[in-house]
Amino acid sequence: MTNALDGLRVLDLTSGSFGYAGRLLAGLGADVVKVEPPDGDAARRQPPFIGDQPDLERAARHLHFNAGKRSVVLDLDIEPDREQLRALVGTVDAVVESLPVGYLAARGLGYDDLITRQSDLVMTSISYFGQTGPYAEWGGSDVVAMALGGYLYITGDPDREPVKCYDNLIEQQTALQAAVATMVGLTNRDFTGLGDYFDVSAQDAALFLLGGNAQTAYFAQKVYPRVGTRLLYPQPESFYPSTIRPCKDGFVHAHTNMRFPDLMTALMEEPRFSEPDMLATPMGHADEFDQLMDEWLSQHDKFEVVRRAQALRLPFTEVLTPTEIVADEHLQERGFLVEIEQPTGEHVRMPGAPITMTATPWQPQAAPLLGQHTREVLDSLAGGQAAARGGTSDA
Amino acid sequence: MPEALKGIRVLEMTVAVAGPTAAHVLGDMGAEVIKVEEPAARAHVPGAIPPPVESAADRRHNRVVNFNELNRSKRHLPLNVATPEGRRVFLDLAATCDVVIENFAPRVMGNLGIDYEDLKAVNPAIVMVSMPAFGKSGPYRERISYGPGIDAMTGMSHLTGYPDRMPGKPGNFFCDQNAGLHAVFCILAALRHRRRTGEGQYIEMSMLEGELQFVVPAVMDALLNQRDQVRLGNRHAWLAPQGVYRCAGDDAWIAISVADDEEWRALCAVIGQTELQADPAYATSALRQERHDDIDARITTWTSVRDKLEVQEQLQAAGVRAGAALNQSDLFRDPQLTHRGSFSWMQHPEVGAFPHTPAAWRSRRGQHGAGGPTPLFGADVDYVLRELLGRSEEEVAGLVERQITTYEPLGWHPPD
Repeated sequence: MTNALDGLRVLDLTSGSFGYAGRLLAGLGADVVKVEPPDGDAARRQPPFIGDQPDLERAARHLHFNAGKRSVVLDLDIEPDREQLRALVGTVDAVVESLPVGYLAARGLGYDDLITRQSDLVMTSISYFGQTGPYAEWGGSDVVAMALGGYLYITGDPDREPVKCYDNLIEQQTALQAAVATMVGLTNRDFTGLGDYFDVSAQDAALFLLGGNAQTAYFAQKVYPRVGTRLLYPQPESFYPSTIRPCKDGFVHAHTNMRFPDLMTALMEEPRFSEPDMLATPMGHADEFDQLMDEWLSQHDKFEVVRRAQALRLPFTEVLTPTEIVADEHLQERGFLVEIEQPTGEHVRMPGAPITMTATPWQPQAAPLLGQHTREVLDSLAGGQAAARGGTSDA
Repeated sequence: MPEALKGIRVLEMTVAVAGPTAAHVLGDMGAEVIKVEEPAARAHVPGAIPPPVESAADRRHNRVVNFNELNRSKRHLPLNVATPEGRRVFLDLAATCDVVIENFAPRVMGNLGIDYEDLKAVNPAIVMVSMPAFGKSGPYRERISYGPGIDAMTGMSHLTGYPDRMPGKPGNFFCDQNAGLHAVFCILAALRHRRRTGEGQYIEMSMLEGELQFVVPAVMDALLNQRDQVRLGNRHAWLAPQGVYRCAGDDAWIAISVADDEEWRALCAVIGQTELQADPAYATSALRQERHDDIDARITTWTSVRDKLEVQEQLQAAGVRAGAALNQSDLFRDPQLTHRGSFSWMQHPEVGAFPHTPAAWRSRRGQHGAGGPTPLFGADVDYVLRELLGRSEEEVAGLVERQITTYEPLGWHPPD
């Protein structure tokens, strides 16, 4: 089996949801060595756990974010382990880390120290606000980064406090940005022979998700508040619906294709939807739309609503719950959910690939036990076997 | 200007957000990106548009803000690929490119005769990326959906929002940005594989499966524990308290997260609740979860009469994680974003100074920021057709004459 990142070795010093960066690299075949503190990656202690019993080897985020990695336990507060880490750096192509700002440099493990061991190292640091600047030393969290990146302000209902997205969406998105940065660095190293250092911030990752929102507001010289599940920048003539509404057995995402407004009438047998004033200013009539839709939707269940809407080429979808997702026939047929034998011997069902690469497929993989590879990795260092790095050769 | 990806040429035929995002990130990093758009695209642009800068022609299609944000660092070629001549140009161009990105509905590229097999015939080592909503196989392959509809199907809507209200959604098109960045990641991996083996490939970026990576704890809870997680609003499974609290002023809010007991005591001191610091009823995160409503009320009493930025400063100075919910206007004044250059100002010939949002990294060697301004409509007709493809002046004129390509959107007329 050929992998896209065969021969690439990465040292992963991230924790929690930031581990998604290394997961992406491992999923495409990189040898990702996760350096964990003696008490393990934070992801190992975060619920949910299999069977709801706290267990370092059975936490969902650990099984997901650390899949395909090797685990080496090092205590970076003691010098012998720091020296092991420096030696390891001499065998790798890239380092990804999410330790507190200044933590590594204070221990002689910052980028400027590590490039003495690997001159063309590509190193990526993840933090909430960046390595320098007025907030660099501040404490962060997923919701705090979302707030300072402007994404919180536009999420939620207009009459309530802004509301965060599920789980650690911003942190994990920051890890994705870090994975892209690392690949940019590795690509450029292939071209030039030069390494680089990337400083990734969660605040900037949240800002990036605005996708034109800040610019639209800047040129309109306005502030655009959150609008619930409707679309941003509502003007009377904006198209509608694009929202979530209740139906008989749950909720649907209702959406009109701007080009065929009469399809709403066809779906719900409601001529009012096609009257000129509704068509001219749909968003101006959003509340009336909701009321009329709700009457019809309350008579129909969500799978039926979506089936009938999609048959008309109206882009409605079901609001699915996790239980419905794991039973979803589309994901089943695509083989999205995979069953992985973990080193505990347990077979665990979990989500699979984010992407489908035909020549170099994504690898569904097990997550390591804490410290499972400490001995083998450190022994190979001592034996000099790991000194030859596979990643720099150019075909 | 970044040159990390200099030498890589990308042909992009995408609309909306996900595809343009993937391509502009590659362009920002120095790849040459050629965006192909329908000749009649943007001929009639609805909605508010900024005015032209003085002395610039009044061409609305060049001033669409969202388009300009998501399509900087590219070249622009209008092209009718639904004609044999246009298809020929597309294939000739693909033969000179490393990567092709498209995000049409699953059957469109095949119907146009420019699917992966067609591209491979002219360029065996091409890396092609499709970005369908649900993938090109499975029962939903023919479904149509936009970003918020995909949020609904991943559980993100079910899990985002207030516990006492309907499902919500991320504030903007999360799944598009997410798919765009995943696409860049696998493009760079595929190109690495190609440098080493000579082999190109086809990549499918299902927007659904990319976003599902962000609800894994809930999906695994359902798989492993038969539990349906519910919306928690701003609360957190293990940080307590956590919330978004009202501040003084219009629609002003502060996000606060308390990660451990020491931070809890620091928070108590700042908000004048010192009697709670040693109260065993609040001593652990689990206990504070039980009294979260009471804690929220106490925090709000303090924050609601104070400015959000002062609250942020005071809490951070005391070691408590806090950040104001910055609105779009605040973002341009935020000292940290300013320090990091989180808006890359580019000069657009018809709009003037334009603040682009770069990807989230800054690099020691300057591989960051928005690479270049957004091209005017049709700006690169001659560059692409004459310089890259070697067509003659007469041939280009013929393509313009037959409306295969164009210098202004077909159907657009200058304002009186």
